Amino acid sequence: MFLYDSLSLTFVFMILLGTIPNLFYSFGYLPHIKRKWHYLVHYFAFILSLLGVVTSANAMLFLFFWELMSLTSWQLILTEAKTKSTTDAAKFYFFMTHIGFISLLLFFLLSTNGNLWMSFEDMHDIVSNFAYPTILFLFLSIGFLSKAGAVPLHVWLPYAHPEAPSPVSALMSGVMLKVAIYGMFRFLFDVLYPWQLEWGIIILVIGSISSLVGVLYALSEHDIKALLANHSIENIGIILIGFGMGMIFDSLKLETLSSFAFIASIFHIFNHMSFKSLLFMGAGSVLHQTHTKNIEKYGGLIKSMPVTAITFLLASISISALPPTNGFLSEWMIFQSMLSSSNIEHTSLKMVIPFAVFALALTGGLAIACFVKAYGITFLGLHRDENAKHIEEVNFLMKTGMILMSLVVISLMLFTPFYIKIFDLAMVSLGKASIYALIFPNGIFQMHSVSSIGASVSPIYLLALLIGVTISLMLAYKMLNVKERVHHTWACGYQTSCKNQYSATGFAGPISRFFDWLYKSEKHIDKKIIGSHETKFTTAHYEVHTKPLFEKSLYENSTKLANKISYWVYRLAHFEQTKYSAMIFNLMLFVLFSYRISVNEFNWATFLLELSVMFISFKILILGVKK
Amino acid sequence: MNLYIVTLILLIVIAPILTSFIKSLKMILLFKQPASLFQGYRNISKLLKKETIVSHESSQITRVAPFLVLSPLLITLLFLPPVMHESSYINFVDAFTITGLISLSTFFLMLIGLDSASGFGGMGSSREAFISALAEPAMVLTIFAISMIANNLGISEASKNLSHNFPQEHMASFIFAGISFFILLLAENGRIPVDNPETHLELTMVHEAMILDLTGFYLMLVEVASSIKFIIFASLFASLFMPFGIEFSAPLALLIFIIKLFLIATIVALIEVNVAKLRLFKVPDLLGIAIVFAFLSLITFYILGA
Repeated sequence: MFLYDSLSLTFVFMILLGTIPNLFYSFGYLPHIKRKWHYLVHYFAFILSLLGVVTSANAMLFLFFWELMSLTSWQLILTEAKTKSTTDAAKFYFFMTHIGFISLLLFFLLSTNGNLWMSFEDMHDIVSNFAYPTILFLFLSIGFLSKAGAVPLHVWLPYAHPEAPSPVSALMSGVMLKVAIYGMFRFLFDVLYPWQLEWGIIILVIGSISSLVGVLYALSEHDIKALLANHSIENIGIILIGFGMGMIFDSLKLETLSSFAFIASIFHIFNHMSFKSLLFMGAGSVLHQTHTKNIEKYGGLIKSMPVTAITFLLASISISALPPTNGFLSEWMIFQSMLSSSNIEHTSLKMVIPFAVFALALTGGLAIACFVKAYGITFLGLHRDENAKHIEEVNFLMKTGMILMSLVVISLMLFTPFYIKIFDLAMVSLGKASIYALIFPNGIFQMHSVSSIGASVSPIYLLALLIGVTISLMLAYKMLNVKERVHHTWACGYQTSCKNQYSATGFAGPISRFFDWLYKSEKHIDKKIIGSHETKFTTAHYEVHTKPLFEKSLYENSTKLANKISYWVYRLAHFEQTKYSAMIFNLMLFVLFSYRISVNEFNWATFLLELSVMFISFKILILGVKK
Repeated sequence: MNLYIVTLILLIVIAPILTSFIKSLKMILLFKQPASLFQGYRNISKLLKKETIVSHESSQITRVAPFLVLSPLLITLLFLPPVMHESSYINFVDAFTITGLISLSTFFLMLIGLDSASGFGGMGSSREAFISALAEPAMVLTIFAISMIANNLGISEASKNLSHNFPQEHMASFIFAGISFFILLLAENGRIPVDNPETHLELTMVHEAMILDLTGFYLMLVEVASSIKFIIFASLFASLFMPFGIEFSAPLALLIFIIKLFLIATIVALIEVNVAKLRLFKVPDLLGIAIVFAFLSLITFYILGA
């Protein structure tokens, strides 16, 4: 029934690391939730289902817990269903998660021959005789990646995560998305094992696009929780880049490099769990005190909420992949594994990888910009709105939750060898050779890349140096005994006020202008003009709204297409009777021609001839003359 | 070990002189009375004597961040490639760590800009975020290319490999990577086509805008940091893209290295005198050129065979 190999236990460990600080935070948050029982029941059922998913040993149990996870998180989003946006987001989430569920169900039905109680090893035997494993791979990817939030199935994240209560957003973004990646690990290794090269490339491409799309939309976002949700898309992309590299290396029989890339990917899963949970908790605390999610209304919160501000800073540095934090280490590993691609013999494949490197590097650069924006606008400067003026630090339990989670972040940075050991064991349980000794050949202080030309990094030395140099500089400052005076910021002769500051829209302005071809944002400028002079106005209001490209092009256009088709079907029902016979005639032609193509050898000349015959009969008999 | 410490101290000592050198060379070229080479030191001693004024609106970040702007750059100095072949060096650090440390310093600089609740600070941070976000991929790709050419990802090993047995067959990709890195040197240090370090004009300033509200010791830290950042990039360029002179004995090799640094500074000064500053929204074009050259370098490398 249940499975306790190292991979499962690794993920159980991750879930525990993610949920224990969250429990404290959640109980601190509880007084502000009206439907307490509703919340608590679903909250614990959600945690239980997360644990169930990663330990179940057959398809039936897996699907049961998977569905339980979806339903409880759906109900948790609806905990505070006051506005229409919440119910809409929940509906959207419900719909998207069930598309994934159907696809997973198809995968399991195909790979178990209908007997869902079968163990994963037996599934492997059935799958190895299956003629089209790529179909199974596609079902699997749609199922798990729709939950993980990879492009183009990511659109629900920026709606669902902001609407959930903050501890739940932290769990959903930090833990639930990773459980979907667990599914990728479990079933790609145990069931679909001999992979085709193309699968790895598909995952790599999806990862690269997700990481860029996530960070670009995060930059244009004003809702702090939606910003973080978009960053989850980015980080899932980074995880998938590592995963895809691992799959590519495995298909090319580069075993060590493949294990290294997979370990990097699991390491990033842990890291993202830690800092994203911490960021959602911080955002939740801010939201809780200021009662608004709009980042433009914050400012100067570091003075009133020091604990939140410091933990948020730690998480921001880590998610921006700056050394010596844990986020840097896993991204370093992923970069190293991509740079080892010179071992690939395949020249055209080798030339593709620099583009993934480019995507990841640009993502890193934009993530820094985005978190300077998120941190600077929220915590620094002056309060921009009354909401942010008279607030205080959150309660003790919530603070404890955040501090515990920042300890998890710090432990991932300090005890990297220990964690890598665990990830290595997980990879061993999936049938890979252990490469721990290759990553740490000279003791635990230096982490090596496994490639022949690889370099190394040592987080502890870096941290020690950084602290040492900074403290000695500070001591030098103290010894100099410099006189210090406090004075207002010079505002060019005006009174220093919050109106002088840059807004979040302004901060992201250059970047959003540069990427305007992607954003296609709607700008609203509202001016009250004095005496019909365009240049003189009393008040002005400027707003930028960005609607995600994927949602606009992919989802809305498919809705439009569905509408058109249904209109056409409706028209069909109201045709004149003669047209039905014409349609039957056309259908017969179609069947005959397709039969000929499938039986005889394909021939372009006859194909074109038949196509034109079909077209003409369709045009004349069905469409007829326009009135 | 001794040589290592000597190089380190020399780099720190020479850093303010190098930026003053660019300034005075520019003044000579513009027929002005040149500033002294020690102007950098004069500025530092002036700032040390002054009191610090901290903005009432700013938070603890302003008091801590200037230290964190300087310290990652000081640490980066430790990891630079050796300039003499007898000198010991730290061999395990790769270029990602170095770019990461430089980004860490920029991160705190941008926070300083946002902390003082002034419009200028936010403007500077926003522009810096824009430029450095686009410079990051070019930097990583260039490093990727040069480490492929040198056949090692460790930065010190790469520079040693290049100077000992230079891969003649990859000259083309080497030059492309060099061009890309030089553009990055200009962009990351805020030299003229990207940012003008000498004006305080609100339309153009980037780096100066972020530190407008710093005074005294804090300003000194950030000023030192920017000159150290320049010397980091210059010495990376000198060791990776001018791979000669390291095999001589200690004093001569050191001399050649310093000449290389001043040569780079001269080129930067000549560019600054001859080129107009780009509009902010033209800067991505320049960085785009750097990215394209980095890609070209990698592609030629792969096509000519590893």
